[in-house]
Amino acid sequence: MGGVLSRGIERWLRLEEEAREIRRKQADWKFIESQPPRLRIALRLYVEAGDLYVASRVAGLTVEEFNELRKRARIPNVC
Amino acid sequence: MSAEEFAVADTCFLIDWAYWRRRNVLPGLFRAVFVPEEVLREVKSESTLEWVAENLATGSFALFTETQDVVGFARAVVERSRMLPIRGVDLPEAVCLAIGKMRGYIVLTENRGALMAADALAELSGVRVWRSLDLISQAFRRGILGGDPEAVFMEYEEDTGHMFPPGGVEGRNR
Amino acid sequence: MSLEEKLEKWRRLEEEAREIRRKQADWKFIDSQPPRLRAALRLYVEMGDIRLASKVAGMGVEEFRELLRRARVPVVV
Repeated sequence: MGGVLSRGIERWLRLEEEAREIRRKQADWKFIESQPPRLRIALRLYVEAGDLYVASRVAGLTVEEFNELRKRARIPNVC
Repeated sequence: MSAEEFAVADTCFLIDWAYWRRRNVLPGLFRAVFVPEEVLREVKSESTLEWVAENLATGSFALFTETQDVVGFARAVVERSRMLPIRGVDLPEAVCLAIGKMRGYIVLTENRGALMAADALAELSGVRVWRSLDLISQAFRRGILGGDPEAVFMEYEEDTGHMFPPGGVEGRNR
Repeated sequence: MSLEEKLEKWRRLEEEAREIRRKQADWKFIDSQPPRLRAALRLYVEMGDIRLASKVAGMGVEEFRELLRRARVPVVV
């Protein structure tokens, strides 16, 4: 059971890392770096963690607003 | 206290700790440090926000979304604290105390009102409240920090503008 | 410790902290501030209540904390 669990976790960690790489590569860094500090920090957080809700809280935006910003920054939502 | 425990940090704690050159010992002390959404809203400076966001990204910090039951308990704590001749506690700190009580997390604060409330109010009995003084002491005990403790405490005071009270842990009986 | 003893302990600690803040503060800096900030800083020196003082200053807690650093008023906890 422990083996199955750890294999499952390993798989998710690998998928998370792959998604992070995709977000890092696809993001419009020029756009991101041109943003005011709070939004810039939130976008970077989203690139690293892929957590829309948490990033929206950091940005001080609603989830929907932050999602729009994410699109403008060309950061894909990798599922 | 072990590294498998959770903590919840209030604004007063974060905005000082973030200034310390050894601030990154914090993640090693807990399984995760929860940051309530209200606390996150109060963090405004770029450098502190960046540090918080980095830790959110790694999972060392986690967001705590305040629910109605937590806020309700916190409001009751605020009211009770105003019934005693002690400094009252405000809602953001009371939320952290409520989380400490309801979830068993260690509350990280530098707010005197929160310390007093945790000490004096029966509703908060059992809540563990740690100041930077307690955290740094714990870091030494667990070997996360080394060197001369007195020098490290002075470093903290110098970096943050905080001052540890005469007698160190005087006034704490939990 | 009874509640009365705890309250007396906290009263004493508050007084000690107030004395430290009074002694350490850069009064020249404080007195050179605009009225609102000056009032807030004096309030903080006396009361040690950062939320109350920051509201008086019309600032957020973090911004007011930075002002305290500049005024060399320590947070004594």
